Amino acid sequence: MTGALGPLLLAATLVLPLLLLTACLSARWHNEALALQWLAPIPAAAAAILAIAGGPFAFDAPALRLSLRLDLPGALLLAVASLLWIVVGAAVFASPGDRPNGRFAVSWLLTMAGSLGVFIAADLITFYLVYALVSIPAYELIVRDRDPSSKRAGAVYMAFAILGEALLLMAFALLAAGEPSGSLRIEDVVAALSTSPWRDGALALLIAGFGMKMALAPLNGWMPLTYTAAPIPAAAVLSGAAVKAGVIGLIRFLPFAAPLPSWGEALAVIGFVSAFYGVAIGITQQNPKTVLAYSSISQMGVIAAVIGMALASGDADATPQIAFAAANHVLVKGALFLAVGVAAATDFRRDRLTLILMVALALSLAGLPFTGGALAKFAVKDPLGDGLAAGLANASAAGSALLMLHFLARLVRTASRGVEAAAPGLTRLWPAIAIGALFTPWLLYLAVGDPRDAASIAKLWDGLWPIMIGAALALGLQRWGKSLPRIPEGDTVVAAEAAFNASLPISAVFESLDARLRRWPVAGLSLLAIALVLAAMAAYGG
Amino acid sequence: MIETPPALAATAGGSLLVLAILLPCAGILLSFALGGRFAERIALGLTPIGLAIALAVSVLVWRSGAPVVTNIAGLPPPLGIALRADGISCVMLVTAALVIAGAALYARASFATPAGVSEARAPLAFWIMLQAIWAALTILFVGGDLFNLYVALELLTFAAVPLVCLAGKPETLVAALRYLLFALFGSVFCLLGAALLYGAYGTLDIVLLAERVRPQPAVWLAAGLMTAGLLAKTALFPLHLWLPPAHAGAPPAASAVLSGLVVKGSFFLTVRLWFSVLPALPGGAAEAALGTLGAAAILFGSVLALRQPRLKLLIAYSTLAQIGYLFLIFPLASGAHPWIADGWGGGIMQTLSHAFAKAAMFMAAGLLAESLGHDRIAEFAGAGRAMPATVFALGLGGLSLMGLPPSGGFAAKWMLLRASVAAGHWVWAVVMLAGGLLAAGYVYRILAPALSDGVVVLKSPPQRSREGVALALALVAVALGFAPQSFFDFLQIGRAAATAALP
Repeated sequence: MTGALGPLLLAATLVLPLLLLTACLSARWHNEALALQWLAPIPAAAAAILAIAGGPFAFDAPALRLSLRLDLPGALLLAVASLLWIVVGAAVFASPGDRPNGRFAVSWLLTMAGSLGVFIAADLITFYLVYALVSIPAYELIVRDRDPSSKRAGAVYMAFAILGEALLLMAFALLAAGEPSGSLRIEDVVAALSTSPWRDGALALLIAGFGMKMALAPLNGWMPLTYTAAPIPAAAVLSGAAVKAGVIGLIRFLPFAAPLPSWGEALAVIGFVSAFYGVAIGITQQNPKTVLAYSSISQMGVIAAVIGMALASGDADATPQIAFAAANHVLVKGALFLAVGVAAATDFRRDRLTLILMVALALSLAGLPFTGGALAKFAVKDPLGDGLAAGLANASAAGSALLMLHFLARLVRTASRGVEAAAPGLTRLWPAIAIGALFTPWLLYLAVGDPRDAASIAKLWDGLWPIMIGAALALGLQRWGKSLPRIPEGDTVVAAEAAFNASLPISAVFESLDARLRRWPVAGLSLLAIALVLAAMAAYGG
Repeated sequence: MIETPPALAATAGGSLLVLAILLPCAGILLSFALGGRFAERIALGLTPIGLAIALAVSVLVWRSGAPVVTNIAGLPPPLGIALRADGISCVMLVTAALVIAGAALYARASFATPAGVSEARAPLAFWIMLQAIWAALTILFVGGDLFNLYVALELLTFAAVPLVCLAGKPETLVAALRYLLFALFGSVFCLLGAALLYGAYGTLDIVLLAERVRPQPAVWLAAGLMTAGLLAKTALFPLHLWLPPAHAGAPPAASAVLSGLVVKGSFFLTVRLWFSVLPALPGGAAEAALGTLGAAAILFGSVLALRQPRLKLLIAYSTLAQIGYLFLIFPLASGAHPWIADGWGGGIMQTLSHAFAKAAMFMAAGLLAESLGHDRIAEFAGAGRAMPATVFALGLGGLSLMGLPPSGGFAAKWMLLRASVAAGHWVWAVVMLAGGLLAAGYVYRILAPALSDGVVVLKSPPQRSREGVALALALVAVALGFAPQSFFDFLQIGRAAATAALP
């Protein structure tokens, strides 16, 4: 039933944002393009629905070295990511009053194209291109305020992004080298990975590179800095959609076909460490946006742990479930970031509906029954198994409940300050967005399982008790929280920055070396020495 | 009558090669004869013709899948002089024609002969030297004979040096003298090497030499001397004493040509020497040594670029680093291995993409310096808003230098990385990745202040047409990232014979 429509929509997923971008650059169409750019993800959303309903399809343009493919895991993520981009984009660009400038719009569109593109990229080169798009232009979204803290956050973000790009480039080179026929398709290189002589190097680089994007500990420092500094809409799409580039990366590039116990368990350990680390540092934070960032670190840790367990057991069928869990996070985290703006704009404590929805959304991340979070938790039950991993996942759900209640408490305290208030339109619409974020996963779940399984009474209790433990802990935090140490946002990144600054004098050594090498006698001698060494080398052969 | 071996036989369309060389030479003579403002018109008028000839040669090579060859005066080597255009000759000819055309268009604003005078020193010198560089490069790219190539290299140096000191300021004169003197040292080494080869084999024709060269002391010494001389002219680390002041001090249009093309001329000759003349030398130690110098250049040049407070010096040091990448072609494309096609394609792609990206960046830097009145990076705040197209060109060039997709720089790095992985030479891969990180660092250092808010008072708004030239060249560097496989097959034309002839 997909016919030619599916491939066309795939191409349009990338082309439409770029078309609008071109229009943004032209003086004639600038304003129209800005006003309409929230519509850019519509082909992506349509493609996702088509793929969820009718199975995978592909689009190839060899002349442009572009190859795209949409399967179920990608479609689940693409559906919610495009939804988030549309909703937040509308909030940012549809109101004519306070419309951002062209440069912000260009970065927005580029990041959007990359963010949607990672879910459909089918070969190494295409994936690397869209991955760079989702990472690099976001700099402009982060530093929009141009105050010192956002500049610092932008610099740290870029350092991590570029380092991640370098790690992945090497990983991709190893993947390509391990594929005997020379194919660059992701399926082919991953299938060849288990027999590749470079398997371990490639896996280590892939986990490090994508782990950086997901802010797994100890590479997590950029995320709190970035989300705290970025304007709320930017934080919403970055934390909701852009971070999933790391998740889809792990889903696409790890070889689930055969069990890899040691690599899988290592990833699971990293994941669970991040899950608890995020909670532990998060509860010491005061800014609600920072708390949300630490919650993302924790949530991405759980996802990474599930991916690790699936890798350990060679469970290739788990990828739609994992993608579903990540998709839930897209919606919830996006809506929660918007909530920070809403809380700043209104006295939401009086508005009972908004208040209830905020609590429900926050606890959705802990798996509150009847929310998408409960489904997400249920979806990853199988890959996690019954052993230690399942116990740790429950404990992390309790931790999430604690962290999110802390978030709500901070939101109540800081709301009156009124910074970064959301536009009135967004404030009015927010309850609808929140309801969508809570219940859209139920629709999506039809694609990966039977929602009735997840709604039984026994499951209800499974979902409730971690939240009760979390609530009890939260009461304790209220009582004794003041004695917790104040950890700077970004935790380890502070040490990394100090180390970086301490290493700067090394480059002065290069400068003095340069001055010495560029003296005439030294340069003349070097010339002679090079001639002789090369002659000797030519004679020696090798 | 002695039968001419097939590799030496002239092919159809060979006269185009002669025409390609004659065109700029005629331009120089005419410019001298007519003088004044005619030099500008002649240079501008000839570039499209030159580009058309370069494209025509490329089409011929593409169609036949073999080099285009002609023997001047109809005599085959060793008596006559051969001109040969293979795949890499063609892409370099086209690149040179495009960059020269870009530089000429860009330079119109700064090197117009003032109204009221019939002739002015700087414009006349610029337009004549620009054509001389073009002529020299054309000979370098199609010359089939080492002596010929040596002469072209000298012409290149003598044409490039005056461009450095066109402004006539004392510091540019010092820079030009440094350049001249060191290049002359290099020339002496090259000439000695060529003389040794001639003494040993009685010919300097590349094809004949390749057949005759055997591992023996004269060849070893000649290889060392010629290569060292060429490296001096390419400014490969640690022989770069002249490059930063020369490239940073020259007028922007000249810097674009010097950084984008002139250093590639001597690099091209080094490639010819090692891949066409000396493939019979066994081993790979010398190639590894060249790669090591390249790797050192990448790290050293990038770190120094990070420390430069002035934009033009930063770009000049970045050239130092980018030249380093070129030399990875020696360890990664030599010998008979499965990965050499990637190494070769990557190295040549780096040459092309750097030519366009760097020319664009120097032009953009020139526009910034003219409009702002300075090129201190720390004071760029607001420049992005005031002159977006210029900063965009700078950013696109930077994209290619960093090796981010889509760009020629990415394609080059990707292929070189694949080759080094396949060869098991990890050190090159690590250095390339580190170089990419450092490049990102110095590009960030330019763009972060330029894109930040600030109020700048432009002395004069940049000319749209000049911004357009910089942007167009930067876009070519980006477009190279979409080069299809057939492009890389084209680069192999003329090389297959050389590698197949290996023992």
